[in-house]
Amino acid sequence: MAHLAHYREAHPIPFVITHWINLVSMIFLIVTGFSIHFPFWPNFMGVARGVHVLCGIVLLLNCIVRVILAFVVKSAPTGGTRVLVADYKTWLPQKDNRHQLGAWIKYYLFLKKDHPLSAKLGVPQKISYLAIPLLIIVMAYTGFSLWGPIMDAPALKAGVNLVGGLMSMRIIHYFLMYVFIIFMFLHVYLANVEGFAPTKLMFLWREHGGLVYDPDQHSIIGEDDEGAKH
Amino acid sequence: MEKEATISGFYEMLEARGVTRRDFMKLCGAIAAAAGVSQLTIPQVAEAVESLIGNAKGNLYPVIWIEAASCTGCTESFAQVDTPDAATVVLEMISLNYSETLSAGAGFSLEEAKEQTIKECAGKYILVYEGAVLEGWEGQALRVADTPGTETLIEAAENAFAVVALGSCAVNGGWMAAYPNPSQACGVQQYLKKAGIDKPVINIPGCPANPEWLTTVLAQVILMEQVPALNDENKPALMFSQTVHDNCERRGHFENGEFVYEFGSEEEALGYCLYPVGCRGPQTKSNCGIVRWNRRRSWCVESGAPCIGCCEANPSNSGQNWVEVNTPFFKRHRDLRIGDFVFQPGTVALTLTGLVAAALVIHGFGMKISGRMDGGADFEKVRKWDEKHPDRAIGHYDVVVEKVPEDSEDQETKAEETEGGKA
Ligand code: HEM
Ligand code: SF4
Ligand code: SF4
Repeated sequence: MAHLAHYREAHPIPFVITHWINLVSMIFLIVTGFSIHFPFWPNFMGVARGVHVLCGIVLLLNCIVRVILAFVVKSAPTGGTRVLVADYKTWLPQKDNRHQLGAWIKYYLFLKKDHPLSAKLGVPQKISYLAIPLLIIVMAYTGFSLWGPIMDAPALKAGVNLVGGLMSMRIIHYFLMYVFIIFMFLHVYLANVEGFAPTKLMFLWREHGGLVYDPDQHSIIGEDDEGAKH
Repeated sequence: MEKEATISGFYEMLEARGVTRRDFMKLCGAIAAAAGVSQLTIPQVAEAVESLIGNAKGNLYPVIWIEAASCTGCTESFAQVDTPDAATVVLEMISLNYSETLSAGAGFSLEEAKEQTIKECAGKYILVYEGAVLEGWEGQALRVADTPGTETLIEAAENAFAVVALGSCAVNGGWMAAYPNPSQACGVQQYLKKAGIDKPVINIPGCPANPEWLTTVLAQVILMEQVPALNDENKPALMFSQTVHDNCERRGHFENGEFVYEFGSEEEALGYCLYPVGCRGPQTKSNCGIVRWNRRRSWCVESGAPCIGCCEANPSNSGQNWVEVNTPFFKRHRDLRIGDFVFQPGTVALTLTGLVAAALVIHGFGMKISGRMDGGADFEKVRKWDEKHPDRAIGHYDVVVEKVPEDSEDQETKAEETEGGKA
């Protein structure tokens, strides 16, 4: 029993919103994507394709907005503190904490008993979150190049020729969906395996008491039960 | 008037072939459309055709038709004119000086006719090339009249007005180029480019190519002396720029989500969309549903077969041949291959995802057993790095750590006896 306090500063409201949009459009994309791949449900194709492309556009725009906001909004670099830094620094592995990568991996492989001290995002998480915007962009690119009305745009056609045709593009798009699904498995698992407090904060913006952390000193400096009342 | 006499002679000729004036006008409409000129010019097109055929008996447009690595399917398709129709009129405009299959002559005299055409009509004849170019075995695979196949192509192409690569094999190797492609089959355009021959190649894919595509292209080249408007794959833009799916008569059922899941089913009887049984219409560019097949009687999807993507042919990539890209035909995706291991993409994706899920479940049990589920393990007292570098302040989280000379690393490691002292 040793979690950090969960303060709203870790996930300012704009990010709670972008996270919701991500979740909803991603689920719609996966469900409709599956039924475009193979129409399991009758009478759904037209709707599925409409929703799919719409959610694809939403996901892409949301991703762009989120990345821009990372440079504009400030957030707390770790749990257990209300100190604010530029948000993008909490994503990028910093000199300050990237040497903890080994410790994190050992911890998850049960080779290290105590919990690594670290930033809001563990180093493995940081790396995977950095990959997600790239994945969304590639996903949008491969998706748009399958979309009849614009598939002839030279910028899309070049990619189609590069990968060896629309069938290959389709398969890449399809494979990447599983990359998304695997990411979601890992993400949901890691976020909740040590308790649901982080999820409550992310979705409901509900704070939770716990240990207080000094991100400059990298040590636990106390405990805050007040947080629970917020 | 002399002209009238010619024209009535022309219509007699048409009539003898069972072609009505109406059929003929329709053909002229198709030619006008393919040439990208206004339908208002149909009378002029008709006049041009009439005068060409009616007047110039001795003046027919020479065509050389070379068969390379082919099954002769494209020739067969073109020659199967059991009912006369307007398109065959185009045949009256050409003089087929060389064709392995269709020419009456054979052997030395036929080869001589070809040589003569190439010499005497240089720059004025059309080369129709059917089948793949075989680069393997130094081009010896298609040795005819003591000349390697590749040399024959170069000689005939160099002197042609235009080259028509007929059928998917000629466009990019087709099924001749499918794995493992021992003969190194490739398309005409790719081969000519490699050989440094700069000739316009008109690519007409299909397995076989629809004869109407060829007649339309021939008509345009002969009548307008121009190469039809081509898309980025050098295929006639009007024929190969939209997908089969775009113009499919079952498209309504696709949008409604009404599908054939099994042959012989009730859905099949209802004429539903063939997407789940592997239809390649959404990714195959061709106007099959418009031009239709077998003298416009029907076409693949109308007859109940999913499109198998026979018009997929990227002229600059023989690996992207339609067989490689589309088999197995009745599955939604092609097979992938790593060495001799052949698999469906879905199988790999599902297996991988299943493995990750299983690993997480097992890991979850580990977390449970090690008592980390409730808030995680207790925090480490001090980070290993801080322990090693007690004298180096981190500063604020978002401020760059002070620069330390690289070689100081070792000394510091030695000096680490004390606790981190950060708490
Ligand atoms: C981000 C923007 C995206 C766009 C613009 C997009 C667009 C498309 C389009 C146009 C198709 C082809 C539909 C058709 O042929 O009728 C497609 C198929 C598909 N999409 Fe997306 N998509 C996007 C993202 C995603 C995401 C995030 C996922 C899943 C996580 C996904 C999963 C799929 C699947 C599974 C298919 C079926 C592929 C197949 O035929 O096997 N897509 N998408
Ligand atoms: S049958 Fe094929 S081409 Fe026609 S609508 Fe269905 S998927 Fe598209
Ligand atoms: S419908 Fe498909 S398989 Fe049939 S001829 Fe056209 S491209 Fe080839």
